[in-house]
Amino acid sequence: MDFLTHLGMGFGVALTPFNVLMAVGGVLVGILIGALPGVGPPSGVAMLLPLTFGMDPTSGIIMLAALYAGTMYGGTITAVLINTPGESASVVTCLDGYQMALQGRAGAALGIAAIGSFIAGTIGVVLLMLVSPLLARWSLSFGPPETFALMLLGLTTVTLLAGDDPLKGYISMVFGLMLAMVGFDIISGDARFGFGIVEMMDGVDFLPAAIGLFGLGEVLAGAEQKGGAVLKTSLKLRDVLPSYADWVRSRWAIARGTAMGFLVGVLPGAGPTVAAFLAYTVVMKVSKEPEKFGKGEIRGVAAPESANNAAATAAMVPMLTLGIPGSATTAIMLGGLMMWGLRPGPMLFEKNPQFVWGLIASQYIANIMLLILSTLFIPLFVRAVRIPYSILMPLIVVFCVTGAYSLKNNLWDVGQMLVFGVVGYLMKKLGYSPAALVLALVLGPLAERALRQSLIISDAGVGIFFMRPISGPLMALALLAVAVPVVRAFLRK
Amino acid sequence: MRSADRVTAALLLAFAVAFSVGALKSYQWWGSGGPGPAFMPFWLGLVMAILALMMLIKSLKEKNAGAAWLPRGEGLRDMLVVLAATVAFVALLNVTGMIIGTALYLAVLIRYLGRHPWWMTLAIALAAAGFNWLVFVHWLRVPMPEGMLWIF
Repeated sequence: MDFLTHLGMGFGVALTPFNVLMAVGGVLVGILIGALPGVGPPSGVAMLLPLTFGMDPTSGIIMLAALYAGTMYGGTITAVLINTPGESASVVTCLDGYQMALQGRAGAALGIAAIGSFIAGTIGVVLLMLVSPLLARWSLSFGPPETFALMLLGLTTVTLLAGDDPLKGYISMVFGLMLAMVGFDIISGDARFGFGIVEMMDGVDFLPAAIGLFGLGEVLAGAEQKGGAVLKTSLKLRDVLPSYADWVRSRWAIARGTAMGFLVGVLPGAGPTVAAFLAYTVVMKVSKEPEKFGKGEIRGVAAPESANNAAATAAMVPMLTLGIPGSATTAIMLGGLMMWGLRPGPMLFEKNPQFVWGLIASQYIANIMLLILSTLFIPLFVRAVRIPYSILMPLIVVFCVTGAYSLKNNLWDVGQMLVFGVVGYLMKKLGYSPAALVLALVLGPLAERALRQSLIISDAGVGIFFMRPISGPLMALALLAVAVPVVRAFLRK
Repeated sequence: MRSADRVTAALLLAFAVAFSVGALKSYQWWGSGGPGPAFMPFWLGLVMAILALMMLIKSLKEKNAGAAWLPRGEGLRDMLVVLAATVAFVALLNVTGMIIGTALYLAVLIRYLGRHPWWMTLAIALAAAGFNWLVFVHWLRVPMPEGMLWIF
């Protein structure tokens, strides 16, 4: 079977010593980043992306994917120990995880999260491996109208799910698209909105923007709340391995979490955070004793933690096969792919099999590493959670500045990063969505090209988006995503 | 929050109109056989204008002034100090150079924010600057700003 040959080749790539080292390093740094409150997966990936430019793209993506998986687990540590989610996908874990910690069962909570993550991650990779090539083959028939419809769907669903106020979500998204218009127009060659400044003609680069919005923006937002720095937790980590009873109790929660996580993760726009929320709700609803949830129920930790890892893996599917990222984190990875000169989408599987299969195989390795590291080094990570904010924040800023600089070795990018840092702070304070902005910034140029090509094909008829068998339903779904908040607001009155 | 929303909405509205008009004035609306460079910016500006208008109306109707969105007192001061220190760090990069600048920035800010003992502050600052040099200058060969001292 040519699928096994591919997988064998993938392992050949992933098992080279350097790539194994990258997977281990990625998981380790990922857990640390996830464990630090205020630094989530998008900031981690954005800050470490510049480090990968000296590497082979395959090693780079192996590190970033391992890092993404690691952050999902790292967020759990803070959620359980200090009732503060390290990243948004662990918000629900706080509910039962912290209660378990109060009852002296922090070890069991972290242990079941590690095992759940491992199982979900591994099943997720198997599914990723089976689904992606099929999806890639199917999407080979996509023309510009389908691409545009798919991008529109990705943008609208991310925006819909991003925050409390859909109006502000859409404003963030359209603002991102407007920023994406700055710089050279691919078709006509005009330098749009350059105002005669050479650097402006290059456009707004997504990476300094992402580093600023997520890295510096988070630091500034964190600087004003000093109170969270003092952590008082007494914990015994002798029993990180959950007991047999715990395992029996939570195995179906893990299975359900995995299934839901993968399904949600594959959809463009819905990432690990949504998956975790959904898995928690479903497991609670089907449980015979829902009243125990929120009071230290181990299934309330197992389900969302499995779901967010499965979703993080599943999010690779639309990114690799269609070139549509499902979340801010995968949007930044997608930007990375384009910087390495790879064109994500169906052709990636044909033109760069080494890259794709190396990444898939490395995900197996990363999951095993995640299980080993997360159980062996828990005391170390727990200590990392205790690093005071006053030390952490300046270090993060330094990393943001060096990262933005080393991108193209110029200070213009650092300046851009600073501006976006302030923008990110304001957006966070005023309830806008930096994630929607970054996604729009990455997809903007691609969406514009697809739109204009479609209109050239159709001779300026808009019908082309609605009449074709694939783009029609996609457009309908995208419009539905816009309509839902409007209708909801109307019904509330 | 309410007044902040009003101001943002008004600013966004003005920006959106300027964006659309600017695009139409400076660039071609329709090129050879298809939409030109002004096409998408114009529509985006229009959509943004509608969204901003919706927010303006919504915030004008809002009766509740809402919670203050800016921090006060110590929180605001700390945030501004971090921001000011970071701007100074970046602005002076060509004078101090990346490595020395990093060490200085860390020493000042860590000491200010945490009141940690000087030995600890300096140890962290020097270790981080050293790490920066090792990874970016030594391994990745990034030509960092050298500064007036021409050391790094």
